[in-house]
Amino acid sequence: MLPGYQEKGDGLRCPLSFGMAQIILDNYGPGKLPKKEAPVVLKYIIKRLISLIPVIVLVTILLFALLKFMPGDPVRMMLGPGLKAEQYKAAEAVMRVKLGLDKSYPEQYFRWIGNTLSGELGWSSLSNRPVKDAISEPMRNTVILNIFVIILELAITLPVGIMCAVKRGSRFDNFWQVFSLVTYSMPSFFVALTLIYVVAINLQLLPPGGMPLTAYGKNFAYYVSWLRYMALPVITLTIISLAGTIRYVRNAMIDALSQDYIRTARSKGLAEKVVIYSHAFRNALIPISTIIIFSVFSLFSGSAITETVFAWNGIGQVLVKALLNRDFMLVSAMNLFFASLSITANFVADITYGLVDPRIKLE
Amino acid sequence: MENRPVLSSTRGESSLRKLGKSFYGMFSRLFIRDRALVSVLEEEALQTPGKTIFKNFLRHKLGLAGVIGLILILGFSFVGSYVKPMDLSYVETALRNIAPGYNYLRFPSQLVKEGVQQISSGISFSVALSNSGKVYVWGTQPAYILEGVSTSALTIPPEVQNAQIVQVVAGDRHILAVDAQGKLYGWGFNNFKQAEAPNLLLGKLSSKKVAMLIGGEAYSAVLFEDGELFVWGSTMSNRLDIVPEAYQGHIVKVAASPHNMALLLDDGTVAVTGIKGNAFSDVPRNMQDGTFNIVDITASYRAVLALDDRGKLHIWGDNEYDILKIPEFQGKVMALDAGKNNLAVLTDAGEVLYWGANHYNQLDLPQRVQKKKHVEIYSNMFQNYAVGADGSISAWGLKGFIFGTDEFGRDLLTRLIHGGRISLAVGAISVVISVIIALFFGMTAGFFGGQVDMILMRITDVVTAIPFLPIAITLSAVVVGKVSEMYRLYMIMVIIGVLTWPSLARLVRAQILLEREKDFVLAARALGVKQHNIILRHILPNIFNLVIVSVTLSYASSLLIEAGLSFLGFGVAAPTPSWGNMLQGAQTAAVLEYYWWRWLIPGLFVVMAALSVNLIGDALREAMDPKANEK
Repeated sequence: MLPGYQEKGDGLRCPLSFGMAQIILDNYGPGKLPKKEAPVVLKYIIKRLISLIPVIVLVTILLFALLKFMPGDPVRMMLGPGLKAEQYKAAEAVMRVKLGLDKSYPEQYFRWIGNTLSGELGWSSLSNRPVKDAISEPMRNTVILNIFVIILELAITLPVGIMCAVKRGSRFDNFWQVFSLVTYSMPSFFVALTLIYVVAINLQLLPPGGMPLTAYGKNFAYYVSWLRYMALPVITLTIISLAGTIRYVRNAMIDALSQDYIRTARSKGLAEKVVIYSHAFRNALIPISTIIIFSVFSLFSGSAITETVFAWNGIGQVLVKALLNRDFMLVSAMNLFFASLSITANFVADITYGLVDPRIKLE
Repeated sequence: MENRPVLSSTRGESSLRKLGKSFYGMFSRLFIRDRALVSVLEEEALQTPGKTIFKNFLRHKLGLAGVIGLILILGFSFVGSYVKPMDLSYVETALRNIAPGYNYLRFPSQLVKEGVQQISSGISFSVALSNSGKVYVWGTQPAYILEGVSTSALTIPPEVQNAQIVQVVAGDRHILAVDAQGKLYGWGFNNFKQAEAPNLLLGKLSSKKVAMLIGGEAYSAVLFEDGELFVWGSTMSNRLDIVPEAYQGHIVKVAASPHNMALLLDDGTVAVTGIKGNAFSDVPRNMQDGTFNIVDITASYRAVLALDDRGKLHIWGDNEYDILKIPEFQGKVMALDAGKNNLAVLTDAGEVLYWGANHYNQLDLPQRVQKKKHVEIYSNMFQNYAVGADGSISAWGLKGFIFGTDEFGRDLLTRLIHGGRISLAVGAISVVISVIIALFFGMTAGFFGGQVDMILMRITDVVTAIPFLPIAITLSAVVVGKVSEMYRLYMIMVIIGVLTWPSLARLVRAQILLEREKDFVLAARALGVKQHNIILRHILPNIFNLVIVSVTLSYASSLLIEAGLSFLGFGVAAPTPSWGNMLQGAQTAAVLEYYWWRWLIPGLFVVMAALSVNLIGDALREAMDPKANEK
């Protein structure tokens, strides 16, 4: 895959650092890589999968260690207050055996992996129900939010990035360059706070945060209220993710436009539109595919800061709440989820990158 | 220059030149160039890569702007922290949430012309009554949430401007005025109805003359000429509204603090009402039994100063800021006054004397003030005014807060300076940690390849797979409480550093894989250069540009990461300031809506710093890339 896919502060939903993007494209963009014969795809996939095994093992061990390192006794948290000393002692012993805490760490590790694979994620002390139930609704909210963000992001970045590359050095290009530099330097919470202050408090156009009420049934007004409550978080996340992606698309497109086949196409007398959209853009799509894949996977990853600021009941806010309330079962389940998400995303991006660009040698 | 070979055509008197200078000139410019022949190195005008980069960089305007911005920010926080030291434990809740302003002492010049009758100060503003009966207000609006009940303290109501005001007084956030007809006016903070006369008072006001107005912390009081005191406002906790019957009708003067009131009675004794059991209410016996005949009193927040008829000063209360140590002076005491934590005395020689706390330069009398002869002093809260015999006003003390204050009344400017130092340092050190790890992993993996590469890259994969923010938050949550504050700062640097290196490591590895195949490495190998020398001296310089650029860019993102972590409360912990945790307050709606300076200003500083660094990184990347100009 492309090296240097860097995260920016706010959860997984973060495009790469644009300086990095330029460096990557300079070195590994289309035409820069050695031309090789078509790969044996299946063999490559299997090879990659095998190399993933130690990664997965190491990551899970790391997360397990982190879970064990967390302060607080899970048994005490599950039993809660209100028990007399003798009752507590008896209940604790039973619970300890039930949770398998009396066993050695390796045994506990395998038990934990087994439970996780079978969907037993533990007990959330924060919401006092199984972790699985505690995160299902936030997960839905996050996905809904992210669908809008990704659609908006791609709808803006692809045309703008292409236009910037085609009209390189123009006022339009310069504007977006400066815009992306500025927004890239903004912490997401600053964008969020500014939006709340201006749009929600001073102009009173949109609610400053929170979740839409569900009490009045699912009529038209209900869906409108969803949109109203979602608007500001969606705008914030879009602004934050625009910067890196526009630069990335622009640079990919510039690289594609500087290739020999573009000159050939132009010298054949093809219309500029055909050259740009059919010759250049299709080739620029190869690096862009990485972005799209990461976008799709980032559907499930909440943005801790933005969701917290807007009080959006998403997965990111739940994580922050869980950490503040020391609900470590929930935290570790979510960390595991995020880790597996990122492993899968990297894997898929890696494979796809090789698949869409036949010039890349898969080894 | 002399022994350098020159073109034959320009040596001596050329016959061509005689024939036609213009033709030759054109010809030579086209083909020969009319200038001295230079050696190959000079002809090529070679310069070191560093020089090239520097020159390219200078051409980049945005990059230069970034450098200037970064220098300003570095100067602001690193030089600033020496100029403006910070006391981490100092808070002054009376000054909480004040909007930016630096005009607390800027009294209108009109007041000097008309002559001062009275000056009284609230926490961030002052009110004055001139000899011609006009009311003036200056300073900054103290922050309170205006929701119908309260009005701005700084806008004088029109009916006050028209009335014939005889007395004004400022409470901590409100102002009271009374006119010749005994009508009471109030404006400013009114959440406890302290800025409007209660019905019970209205009757008294119409029948009796007001001797003195008293403005306290969220309460007000009126002392009538017949010695009756009426207190209203926020008196639930201190019960100042209960004035014992024994004192009513005998009160001559009142000195107020938030919890107590010292009453000077007509028999020359002193009594205290309000909360019992503190040093303020512990009136010395000789003040009460008639040993001394007290003629004047004043009170700071925690101490009472009394003057007896023989000109002797008596003091009791908490010895905070050495306030009980009356400095030595000569002459007779003419007037007493008190700020929040300081006391003031005016002698018959016109000398003014201040002692107590000096956090806001309340004691630092300007040189010219000391020389002057004064006739009156007004000391309130943190502002001091002295009126000279010539009618001029000298003002000193708290001038204001350029960036406002936070919820504990701490100066935002000072905290921004020191917070910047911490934010910038945390970012820098975490980047250094990240770069060291990345270089080690990337270079070792890239150069040795094979099994080493495999293992190192799998470790890189593991760290990449770890979602940054959740793990960073989890780690710092785990660390909380286990280590001291200073170690926590280090832990945050390590956490950010340890979780951000994989991208750079991958980049370095890939670059080394490219460089490794190049001929100069082969040549070095053939010459028998040692392996570590090949890495360090031949390959490393070639990837150095790349490293510099990505270090710059990741410094910017480290700054943002630190800000984000601290904002959520998992980063630098209070009271140590950082730009991120200064913004933490903005998570509450009141701060976001009413105290905009508390999140906007630190936020802008974060953006400024990150933007400067990003601009530099971007310009560096273009300056270092010889192909950049083609793009």
